[in-house]
Amino acid sequence: MKTVTGDLKKNLDALKKLLPADDILTFEFTSDKGLKFAAVFADPITDKELLGEQVVRALKYFDGKPTAEAVGKHITSPEMKREKALDKLAAEVLAGNPVLLWEGMDEGIVVGTKKVFTRAISEPSTDVAVKGPREGFIEDVKTNTSLIRRRLKTGELKIEMIEVGRRSKTFVALCYLDGTAVKETVEEVKQKIQEIDIDIVPDSSYLTHFLASRPYSLVKQVGTTEKPDIFCAKLAEGRVGLIVDGSPIALTVPYLLVEDFQSSEDYFVPPYRATFTRLLRLFALIVAIYLPAFYIAGQLFKLQLFPVKLLLTIAGSIRDIPFSPSLEMLLVLLVLEVLNEASIRMPKYVGMALSVVGALVLGETAVSAGFVSTPAIIIIAFSGIGLYAVPNLIEQTSVVRLAMLLVAGSVGTYGIILLTAFILLYLVTTENFGAPLLSPFSPIVGKDLRDSVLKYNLGSLDTRPKTLKSPNRRRLK
Amino acid sequence: MTKKIAPRQIYLLLACIAPVGKLVFLPAHLARYAQNDLLFPALVQYLVQAGAVFLVLLLAKRGMSFYEMLENTFGKIAAKILICIFGLFLLYCSFLPLLEQQLFVQSEFYDTLPSLVAFGPFFIFSVYLCSKPLSSFGRTWDILAPLAAAGFVGILLLSVGSADFGALAPAGAAGGSGFLQATAGATSWFFDAAILMTLLGKFEYRKGMAWKGTLCYLAGGAAVLFFLATFYGIFGPLAFNQLFGFSKTSKYFAGITVLGRIDYIFIYGLALVMAFYVALPLQGGIDCAVQAIGEKKYLRTFLSIGANAVLFALLIVLEYRMKDVLSVISGTLFWIFPIFFLLVPALSLLLRRRRREV
Amino acid sequence: MKFKKFVRTIPMKLYVLLAVVILFAFFSNDFGLVDIQKTAIILAAAIDKTEEGFSLTAQIAVPKGSDRTTGGTSSVEIEAEGKTVSDCITLIYTKTGWVPKLVFCNLILLGEDAAKADMMDSLNYFLRNEYMPDTCLLAVSEGKAGELLSSQSAIDDASSLAITKLFSDAAQKSGKVMPCTLKDFAIGVYGVSKSGFLPYVRSTPQQGEQDGGGSGSSGGSGGSGGSSGGGGGQEPQQIYSADQTAIFSDGKMVGLLPREQTFAFSLLKGKVFAGTFNAMDDGQPITLSIIKNNGGVKLEAKEGLTAKFSIDLLVRLCCRSTSVPVDDGLGDTVPEKILQSAKTTVEGYVEDLFENCKACGCDLFNLKQSLYRSSLKKYAKWKDNFLPSVSAETKVEMRTRK
Repeated sequence: MKTVTGDLKKNLDALKKLLPADDILTFEFTSDKGLKFAAVFADPITDKELLGEQVVRALKYFDGKPTAEAVGKHITSPEMKREKALDKLAAEVLAGNPVLLWEGMDEGIVVGTKKVFTRAISEPSTDVAVKGPREGFIEDVKTNTSLIRRRLKTGELKIEMIEVGRRSKTFVALCYLDGTAVKETVEEVKQKIQEIDIDIVPDSSYLTHFLASRPYSLVKQVGTTEKPDIFCAKLAEGRVGLIVDGSPIALTVPYLLVEDFQSSEDYFVPPYRATFTRLLRLFALIVAIYLPAFYIAGQLFKLQLFPVKLLLTIAGSIRDIPFSPSLEMLLVLLVLEVLNEASIRMPKYVGMALSVVGALVLGETAVSAGFVSTPAIIIIAFSGIGLYAVPNLIEQTSVVRLAMLLVAGSVGTYGIILLTAFILLYLVTTENFGAPLLSPFSPIVGKDLRDSVLKYNLGSLDTRPKTLKSPNRRRLK
Repeated sequence: MTKKIAPRQIYLLLACIAPVGKLVFLPAHLARYAQNDLLFPALVQYLVQAGAVFLVLLLAKRGMSFYEMLENTFGKIAAKILICIFGLFLLYCSFLPLLEQQLFVQSEFYDTLPSLVAFGPFFIFSVYLCSKPLSSFGRTWDILAPLAAAGFVGILLLSVGSADFGALAPAGAAGGSGFLQATAGATSWFFDAAILMTLLGKFEYRKGMAWKGTLCYLAGGAAVLFFLATFYGIFGPLAFNQLFGFSKTSKYFAGITVLGRIDYIFIYGLALVMAFYVALPLQGGIDCAVQAIGEKKYLRTFLSIGANAVLFALLIVLEYRMKDVLSVISGTLFWIFPIFFLLVPALSLLLRRRRREV
Repeated sequence: MKFKKFVRTIPMKLYVLLAVVILFAFFSNDFGLVDIQKTAIILAAAIDKTEEGFSLTAQIAVPKGSDRTTGGTSSVEIEAEGKTVSDCITLIYTKTGWVPKLVFCNLILLGEDAAKADMMDSLNYFLRNEYMPDTCLLAVSEGKAGELLSSQSAIDDASSLAITKLFSDAAQKSGKVMPCTLKDFAIGVYGVSKSGFLPYVRSTPQQGEQDGGGSGSSGGSGGSGGSSGGGGGQEPQQIYSADQTAIFSDGKMVGLLPREQTFAFSLLKGKVFAGTFNAMDDGQPITLSIIKNNGGVKLEAKEGLTAKFSIDLLVRLCCRSTSVPVDDGLGDTVPEKILQSAKTTVEGYVEDLFENCKACGCDLFNLKQSLYRSSLKKYAKWKDNFLPSVSAETKVEMRTRK
């Protein structure tokens, strides 16, 4: 490991070797007493104004001994540290913090004058609430932690910064409430994060792979949210949270499947309304997954699934369709997925046009041309809408829906039953950080059922979820 | 996951999941021999089985698995042989539910008779299921039990209005021989105590568990008896021919003509539970084999593939001899069942209580 | 090492294999099964006895195209003859290329000849068929069932739909028809009493208009095979009725209950809530409407066997044939004199019904079964000469709304 020597020129050469990029600049200046200084910084991400104000101007009149202590006292930046290792200094430069070196000293000073580019705090597009807070996380970890601090004004809130990514050196803020979160879980999360040996971490979703007990699984095993109020509520339940610099999506563990059937709004409306909407979400999801599958299985293998009049209507509408019922449904489903994907990625003004083309032109003309039948379009449209009742699970449920459709088209209703059994078994045997995914339904945890698909009055939710095993059970006194 | 099964999960197994296996062929079998007296043989079977369940739950007090008990008393080699025999019995037990399931699937999930291959996917599921240790299934029962209860209650609610319970009179019409034939044959559907034996050591005994477990089993039995009464009340003299009892009683509900077959929601719910129940003895058998050989990586998976392949092959080979198979299992060889579900637990009470010093 | 790696990747390989198999099955799209596009959805079947065996006429629903603008159900009738019912069904397949599916068959009509032979010969196929709903309605037709099913209905697109309307809940409440399902009939025939009943359907040409209506119906099968209805010219449209009831013993039709006895049978079953019947008032017919009906039959076995028929009716005045002043003060209350007359009328119906059944050897009220359920000993005593040993006692209570 190379360290800083007393020779400024040699030190600058060594640093330049480590950082050969063109946007790494060196600003050399001399104090009134003739001491030579050099500030090495990354041009685009360093706040040069602050550097000039807090470092250059301050040292212009430096007249003390050239020790790190004395120089440090003259610098007016609140963020500052001393470092000898050249590679660490280079890393700091890359992080946006200028490094100050001077003649005759074997140590450098890192000054915290990083330039932070952030967007304004706005309402997240995925977690929209009609009632309740509208703030959402942004890409800056410090802003995000400040949003949490503002909501949890307690010394028990611990935020530990861990650096992840060999090249990106991304900051990950590990947040938990001391005494409420399970210590073993905190340690396990910390260990898993520290063990990650990856090149770069562009988004929090990269970490989910390392936090999951079944990394290759289709099943979601880490909770996600874009809203600080939800994040804080989860911390208060005893979960551990992770905020990744550069990502507006925060992660929480342990994750329970039931979380995604809950919305922040459920806690701001009367409990009967919240229960109704949660049941509705569950119903919508079940219908969205199973309806196309049963429709196909009914046509191919079990006509009795339809009342006779409906069957005759279906038979009439598919009479001139050139595809088999299963292929027809698969095609319509794929068209829906393509439209969905395209409408998300396209610029907004084109997206509107695309919706019109997709919904009206494609649908209507496909039916009139005899490519697809009207019932197939109705079924898929309903299924498509239903899936969005639980938006956080859309990646998983759309795949499950496709799998159900394929199985229904090949084996029929029994295939649907078996695939359901398979999924059920898989979900039941999945657990992460000591919490079973399907809790509080499997294993049954009576008291936790009060805030599951059902939602009891706030007064009844006097304890934290038993599944999370928080050492501090009572939350309402 | 090698966590212990909770006592609650054992109760749910006994009260809600075990009865599911008695709803397919058993009602028709009882009606064939005992006619309107079909409740009596079923009651006798339930009482005997409840006794056996009680014995097994008493054995659970020792905190040892069945294999450990055998090893403790007879030594390693004898224990391995005995547990293998017990495992073979469980594989034998699994054949009848499999047969039922296959015919049920062919009849109720398709409009025209499909080829046997249509039942093949069950074995893919079964391979996956059996490759997991038995102890990881407690949580499955937490989900399946309410599903089974809801399916059962739903079917009964739709059925009970169409039943003429007077059809159960007069008592004793079938005579002694009918009663005996029905009782003997029904034995093949009652091996819940044997399944419970394989769970020994995988759950902890709690105070009063033997009584509570037995009462749960009897509660499930009472529900089955009520279903049998409804079944006979609906079909009367045709009952002997109604092979998949639970899927047929609800279709006479008046609302079905308007809404279509809404009863399929309940039937399919029970079918889902059945998929797990049918594989239960198979899992038990594989668990016994694993204990005899010793837990090794992938062993359970290979055994699971092997056992399921054998059973699938047997189903294919015996496809056109189902009636003969049924008459052999529930007729000629019915006596095998009580040896294992009643005699084995009873004799196991005599096994050494304390762990042998090593 | 290689082996270990191979073993470790087995699950992934198996998943891929499974996915390939499922995709193959999905695109090849069958296990030798029949999907909706290859299916003949049989709405109703008519069975007649022939010299060779049976003739089966199936009414098959023909789906209308997606461009259809009118509602209703088109249908076509296909006839096939064979030694057994199963033969006939197979023949329909070979004639049409559609696989006949019985899952939606809601009506089986039996010709008089078939009904007078052992009915179960015809019905066993349906009873044993796992893919046939035993909730389907069963009826006997006057003459040939195939002809009746192939006739054009004046009130519906398909004759079977018009006939099943006769057996609706509302029709049952009128007391004019006694419908029966395949399961109920089989339970009766295979039960202790070995008796049963079925509605007897007749058709009469609609007077006046000879064409029009029935927009989608195609009375004949065209070239697709042997429909008895296909004859080229305009057929008269038919009106169906089922106010008579065929009675059965040992699976054979042994008699016919006329309209009044069918009504009495309905009253004894306690199913009439909106029916009307006529009584006499000074030689003038008067119509009474039934508001409430309780009825039942009990068998008393002491020295002899007595069937105790009881009917309890709450009635109101519905219509007089002669003009009566509006303000006669009676409203819809039935005068005592008319109640007595009505009571005598109903008693007469019941007595005739019982005598008719007795004469035909049909235990229509399952009296034998009642005896069997109440006492095996008494059953053993009387079972061989049961019906002749039964005498009847009729008690009719007639009340009016006051």
